Parts: sequence; C-alpha cells; structure tokens
Amino acid sequence: MIVPAPLVNACIIDNNKIYAYGFKKLLSIKDLSNQVTHFENGSDAIAHLKNPGNALNLPDIIFLDLSMPVMDGWEFMKEFEEIKSQLGKKISVYILSSSIDSHDIDRAKNIPSVSGYIFKPVDVQRLQEIFKNLQGIARQ
Amino acid sequence: MSFSEDKFSDDSRLHLAQIIDNINAGIWEYNINTRAIKWSAGFYSILGYETNEIECSNHIFFDHLLYHQDKAVFLNALSDQGTTPAKPIQIRLLTKSSGYHWFESTIKRQHDRNGQIIYGSIININQYKQAELRAARNDQHYGDTIRIAKLGSWEIDAASLNLTLSKQIYDIFELQSEIKLSIEEAVSFFEPPYRPVIQNAINNALEFCQPYDLELLFRTAKNHVIWVRAKGVPIINEYGRCVTIRGILQDIDSNKRKGLSLESSLNLLTDQNRRLQNFAYIVSHNLRSHTGNLQFMVNLYEETELEEDRTEIFAHIKSISSSLNATIEHLNEIVKIQTEITNERSIINFEAIFNNIQSAIKSNIEAVNARIEYDFSQSPQISYIPAYMESILQNLLTNALKYSHPDRQPLIKCHTLKERNHIYLIFEDNGIGIDLDRYGDKVFGMYKTFHQNPDAKGIGLFITRNQIEALGGTIKVESTVNIGTKFTIKLV
Repeated sequence: MIVPAPLVNACIIDNNKIYAYGFKKLLSIKDLSNQVTHFENGSDAIAHLKNPGNALNLPDIIFLDLSMPVMDGWEFMKEFEEIKSQLGKKISVYILSSSIDSHDIDRAKNIPSVSGYIFKPVDVQRLQEIFKNLQGIARQ
Repeated sequence: MSFSEDKFSDDSRLHLAQIIDNINAGIWEYNINTRAIKWSAGFYSILGYETNEIECSNHIFFDHLLYHQDKAVFLNALSDQGTTPAKPIQIRLLTKSSGYHWFESTIKRQHDRNGQIIYGSIININQYKQAELRAARNDQHYGDTIRIAKLGSWEIDAASLNLTLSKQIYDIFELQSEIKLSIEEAVSFFEPPYRPVIQNAINNALEFCQPYDLELLFRTAKNHVIWVRAKGVPIINEYGRCVTIRGILQDIDSNKRKGLSLESSLNLLTDQNRRLQNFAYIVSHNLRSHTGNLQFMVNLYEETELEEDRTEIFAHIKSISSSLNATIEHLNEIVKIQTEITNERSIINFEAIFNNIQSAIKSNIEAVNARIEYDFSQSPQISYIPAYMESILQNLLTNALKYSHPDRQPLIKCHTLKERNHIYLIFEDNGIGIDLDRYGDKVFGMYKTFHQNPDAKGIGLFITRNQIEALGGTIKVESTVNIGTKFTIKLV
C-alpha cells in the first residue's frame, strides 16, 4: 500500500522571479511540493512569518537567496534567528545561491539555523534527498 | 753660539741669560743690521738637538729648519714695521728626529746699542696644532655631511624661548642673511595647515618633555614649497624639566615627493585592482546567475509536457536572453571607461551640458513634475572627458528623478564649488533617501539595488563612480531616509 507523502509546505525567498518560477515548477514536476510560497525579499518573508494569521500555514522549509534588495539573505537570517523560537514550528532553512565565494559559504555554515547550502541553478538529487528527510521527520 | 757665551755687561743680564738657557723654551735673536743670529740652548733642545749640534746661521734656519711654505709668514713678520707688538706666528720647523713640528714664535722688535734687533721665543705647539687641524678637518667634514644631508640644527632655550639657528638652517629657509628669528617667525615659514602641528610639538616638548619627529610642508623665503623633516629632542635637567630643545631641520623634499608619488601610484593600483576584482565578481556572479537560469529553464522545458507551461518557460528563456545581453552591455560600458580614459579632455561648460541633458530627459522630469535648480557660477567650466561628464550628470539626474519622494514635488539642486585647486560638483535631492548605515559603501557597487523600484538596475552609480575615479576624483554620499540625498563629487 502506498502511503501518501504528507504535504510539504515550501517557501522560496528570491528576487529573481524567473528563477522562483522555475523552482516552483520543478518542485511540482518532481512531486516534491505543490505548495510553494514566493517572496521577493527577506522583509516580506519575515512579515509573513510574524503574521499570527499565518501561524497554521507556516512553511516546513525555506529556500533563501543571499543577494536581494531591501533585505538580503544575511539580514533575513539575523531576524529569523530572533523570531524562530516564537514560531511554534521547526523550519529548515537552506541557502540557495549562485555565489561560489568561499567567504559566503563559510559565513552560511556559521549560522546555526542554516541546514545547508545549495548552488544555483539547481541540484535535483539533493532536493529530493532534502524533501525525503523532511517527509521522514513529518511522518514520525 | 748661545746666550750665555755673550759678554753681558752686568750680573743681572748674565743671570737672565742663564735662566733663558735653562728653560725649555727657545729664544732667538736676529740683528737686522749685522744679520747676526743667536739661539738659546732651549732653542736647540726644543728641536731635539744638543746645544751647538747644528750651526746657528741664517742659512741653516731658512733653508733647513723652516718649512718652505712658512718662509713667507716668517719673513713678513720680520719686515713688519708696525709699532704695536706683532702677533705670534705659527710656523713649522724640522726637528732632529720627528720631522716637522708646529711652533709658535713671538716676534719683538727693539733698538739696541748694536742696532735694530728682533727677538722672539718659540714653543712647541705641535700637539695643539694637530688637534686644531683635526678639529678643522672634522668641522669641514661635518659641514660637508650636513650640507649633503641638507640638514640644519637649532636650539630653543626653554627659559627665554630664544631660538638659535645654525647657518644651514638659513640655507634651508633660503634667507640671505642670518637674521634673528623668533619661534613664531620660524613657525610661520611652515605651510598654514602644518603651523599648529609644529607649534604643538614644540609646546609639548617644552611642557611634557615629548620628543617629536615630523614631516611637514614648508615655504622658503624664495617661495619654494618643500617637504622638511623637523625633529626635536628635549634636554631635561635633574628636576625632569625641559631646559632646552635641540633639534634638526632637514630638507627631505625630493625623497618625500618620490614617496608620495609612489604612494599615489600604489593607491591608483589598489583602486584599479579593486575595480578589476569587482569586475571579475560581476562576470562570475551575474553572468553565472543568468546562464544558470538559462540552463534551468531549458531543462524544465524538456521535462514539461504541458504546452502552456512550455510557452511560459520559453517566454522566460527570452527574458533571460535579453538580461544576459544587458549585462554584457554593462560590462562593455565598464571596459569602455577604461579605454576612454585616454580620450582627449576638453573644456566643458557645465550649464550647456546640463541643459542638454535636461532636454534629453524632459519627459522623465515632467512625469514627476520636478523642479531643477543649478548654479555653476563658482566654476562654470572644467577640463574633462565630455562623454564622462554627460554620463555622470545624466546618471545623477535620472537617479534623483527615479527615487523622488511621492509626497512632495521633487527638488533637485546642482552646483559647482571651487576650493583650493579642486573643483567639486554638488548634487542634492529631496527624494526618498537611502539608509547608509545599512548599505554604506554598497551604494556604488554594481547590481546593488536598495528599493523595490522596477527601474532599479544597480548600474548607474557604479558607472558614475568608475568614471569619476578613473579621472582621479572621488564621490561621497550623504543621505537621510525620507529627507533626501546629497552627492559630493571631487571632479579634479
């Protein structure tokens, strides 16, 4: 008997609309998630997370770009660290960036709530592993 | 013949002669009329001879004992008819065993019953003379060294604040005569910004016994501006108070200027290197992100079967293609800045060029109903690369229009300033401003955008900065969110 995978609620924070579109499409084609919210910068995402109206609809996983106007990925992480304990849900954060600068990668590693660093454009296998783990955790 | 052999008429003379023969000074006597010559025993012994070991004669004295170069001195002294007692002369005489020594001889002239007599006493001054010559040589050496080092020494007496300057200092000051200078007068030779620096250093040395070593700009009496090194060391008494400051002043102009030009080349190189790195970053980051997206979309296109998805994906591919093109254009523009830098500069009229730009972007100005004021009277013209100036003014102007505040009429002010040898361009607006505490130096970075403005490309100010810096200028920004932004540009 096939157990239906629990729905994973994903979120992508990236000012590049084309990329966000592709990412959403990919998750849908690969049956990883049909529920992907997109924010164009960190500030909009923080507002969404903080809004009590969204408390029941928080993402399980966030894919975060680094370079964005208004509030970039680093600033988002700073704010996220501060509010995460009040969110009532464990949210995994993956950096999703085209930067291959070792300085950026090390900096991301040193942020406690960052679970991993994925290079753009995309690594389908890696995404599948990440979602499999998430579903495993959700099932428990 | 010695003095004691002479037949003196009385006892006292005999007595005196014996004393003379026994002291270790040489006495000589010369009768001008008879040309007779007498030496005391001491004269022989002072030269290292036994009495009468050598013949006492004019011939021996002038041709053997007296150093040939000193003959003139001696003969002059003999023939000097002055009534005042002649000054002692210094001559070299050949000693028996140790070569020529320096001697000092007194010369006295007297009329005797035997005619006109000249007599004198000689003493060996060799040691002192050698020391004196050594000292003179050292002085010469010291003088030469100091001249080569372009160095002068000075001293300030702490109690009287009296300033003493060495001759070389006057050379550095290019003062004709060694006139007395007060501290204030000496300080006034330094260029205005350095006067408080040197004055404070002197005060601190006097008060707190602090030594100093400074490199300062100095204007000589002949109006040459040179770099000097001013070093002062306080001399401290047993109570720990400064009694004197002793110091040097050195002309280090040529070295300092070499150092400064080296430093400015280094800065230029560092700047260029930074720009190159930035360029490399743009190439790797921005092009990578476009090509990555392109690859992503192509893959998706292949994986999708739905026709409507394919249409949408293809539209995105087209959009990426044009972004890629735009980025390449931007990179081209940056490369162009570097190649255009060798273009001829020409005299540009600020007002004419500014008005041209205003009419070129007239529709943008009218769209936000902006009021634009300018005043280029302080510096109406500048020698600049025309294409750069157009680009700089246009970027700043479109930027100010793009980020105008929605709640008020945009007011844009532009003026030039002339300060010392520099020309500044000031550009102010009352727009939405930018949070510099957050973004700081990123303002001028490439593809850095700070507002959710769809027109923001993050290229204008990057290019503006590159153009300004390529011609040796600087650009600074001050801004307050919701109040406005002010750019201060040092053009040359």
